[in-house]
Amino acid sequence: MKINIRHIEIGVFIVVYLFALYLWTLPFQDNKIPYGEFDAISHWELGDYVAQNDRTFANLPPFLDFSYGDDNIFKPHTLWYHPPFHTDLAIISAFARDRMVPIFLTNAIFASSILISVFFVIRKLYGFLPAILSSFILTFSMRDILPYLWGQWPERFAYAFVPLIMYCYYMYHNTYSKEESKPIYLYVMPLLLAIDMLIHPLIFFHSFFGLFVLAIVLWIKDKKIPFNLKHIGISLVLFLILFAIFPYQTGNVIASFTKSKPKEKEQFSFARLFQWAPDASKFAGSVPPSYFSFKEMHGLWTLPFLLIGLLVLILRRERRDLFLLAWLISLYLVLHRDLIGKPIFLHRSLSASAHIFVPITIVGALSIFSFIKLPQIYRTFFRYGMALLIVALALVYNMPQAYSTLANAYDNPLLRLNTAQIEASEWLKNNINENENVSIIGPPGELLQKIWWMASYSHRTSFFFEGFLKWKTYAENREEIVKYHLLNDYIVVDYTDVSLISDRSFVENLQEFEKNNLQNHTLLYNKNGIKVYKYKA
Amino acid sequence: MKLPKFGSIVFIGVVMLVILPFFYFILGLSAAMSVLGIVLLFIVPMFFILDNFNLEQDEKIIFSFFIGVGVFPSITYWVGMIMSFRVAIFVSFIVLAGAGVLIRRFYRKKQ
Repeated sequence: MKINIRHIEIGVFIVVYLFALYLWTLPFQDNKIPYGEFDAISHWELGDYVAQNDRTFANLPPFLDFSYGDDNIFKPHTLWYHPPFHTDLAIISAFARDRMVPIFLTNAIFASSILISVFFVIRKLYGFLPAILSSFILTFSMRDILPYLWGQWPERFAYAFVPLIMYCYYMYHNTYSKEESKPIYLYVMPLLLAIDMLIHPLIFFHSFFGLFVLAIVLWIKDKKIPFNLKHIGISLVLFLILFAIFPYQTGNVIASFTKSKPKEKEQFSFARLFQWAPDASKFAGSVPPSYFSFKEMHGLWTLPFLLIGLLVLILRRERRDLFLLAWLISLYLVLHRDLIGKPIFLHRSLSASAHIFVPITIVGALSIFSFIKLPQIYRTFFRYGMALLIVALALVYNMPQAYSTLANAYDNPLLRLNTAQIEASEWLKNNINENENVSIIGPPGELLQKIWWMASYSHRTSFFFEGFLKWKTYAENREEIVKYHLLNDYIVVDYTDVSLISDRSFVENLQEFEKNNLQNHTLLYNKNGIKVYKYKA
Repeated sequence: MKLPKFGSIVFIGVVMLVILPFFYFILGLSAAMSVLGIVLLFIVPMFFILDNFNLEQDEKIIFSFFIGVGVFPSITYWVGMIMSFRVAIFVSFIVLAGAGVLIRRFYRKKQ
């Protein structure tokens, strides 16, 4: 086998991508226990349930129906997401015969696949060096890493489709002529577009706007509109087949989109037109303010290069430059939908910023020396020197934050299930029926998330029992509710977390509750600080 | 079915020999198996199909992955409604690989 330049380029990309995956898998390298916010729980359990039960489903199993039964407004009690993303997770979990690593690793590969698509597209447009640098800088993109950790899994993956979909149209447009053209690009494009919708509908709109702006820009540039009825017809049929393959979920997308919601009264602000990110204060409590800061998310050192890159693209306006400009403009349009009263998930759209900012930054940095008249050899020397400088700046300013965020993510023992909870969850899964309720007594409200992870791990409906005793929701008929659950549910008494909390009163309260209420129950499981009771008349 | 060139097979083999042990060392056997599964189930069957069309090699590989993650699970999901999910994975692989062979034959006949 002859080693050629292509092999070396692929080799370098593989090294960069494996480095990225090493970083992105840090949260579960030493601790192979599922983690994440409520979104992560739902994505994990959808994949895990199918793999564990060796079957797919149309109607939600009881433990999922309990939490998400009404999420599909078109057909309640069915999946609210299109199945492909979670079926992917299930396929790999079943293939690798493990519940945790395959699902979290597949998600890490999917979430970081923006590195692959940006590398691919930028290499086609600008060559290897800008492509590999873009991919490398994206490794540390905090606006990608944070939602990835929070659990916005399908959305992260869906963004990787945007540049590819635009690339397909770009290639079709470029190769189009009446005598000869490459319609294959127009056939691949609708497949990618439809799959993008199956992965996450919001990002489908990003792709759609990207295509729309790119098409208009290229039509104006070339003063031609590629129109071939056969190509467009085949393309539409391919799209519609995939669009219609999951009618309940596509119906849900259409119903959600067309459902008349009262328009949020936003006062039109002229200044907003000149701001990239929305107002952080409107997302207080759900998203940290640093997420809206350019400095925190991209690093201020990238700003001059980004502006130079933008200037280069606007002045030069080559076809490839128009591609990047169209992508940027389309993201700007999507990000300013709050001006027409559609602010929902705006912060999620913001997470796509780095995907286009980074390539423009790299184009800017590598173009600086093209403004100065220099012999070619010096120009090449400075170009590679600039590339090394970018790598160094990213390692010094971007990597430490990304590394510490990923390495320390969910490493508090109170944020992940402990071994005793996993064993108890597995016991519940193997020993009680799928439609039985489980009420868990023990962890205080701050650790509510753990209850949902136990529900997820055991595939059984779980109530947070302490909630019934304290939540105002049940103030009116609390006693009946408590009595009902005590008599009908499997009751789990969990001392493992309360014993870790310095406040001893949690343990004492729990012991008292057990003594007073569970005397007539049968103890079915008693291991490592967790007991399971059931009332038998 | 057209086989890839010997050089390509050796290169793919070298790449897999780097990637699989890497994941084995950082996350264990199930991670290496996961990566193998992604390549075998999502990329390879779609590549059989896209290899019949006038695309560049890197385009075929990239598009195979991004189309594979949508088409392969869609077939598996519906087939998994009527049989074991694990069998459905196998059936989906056969269906897509078979489609690749049929498309090749169709093009040959046309020529």
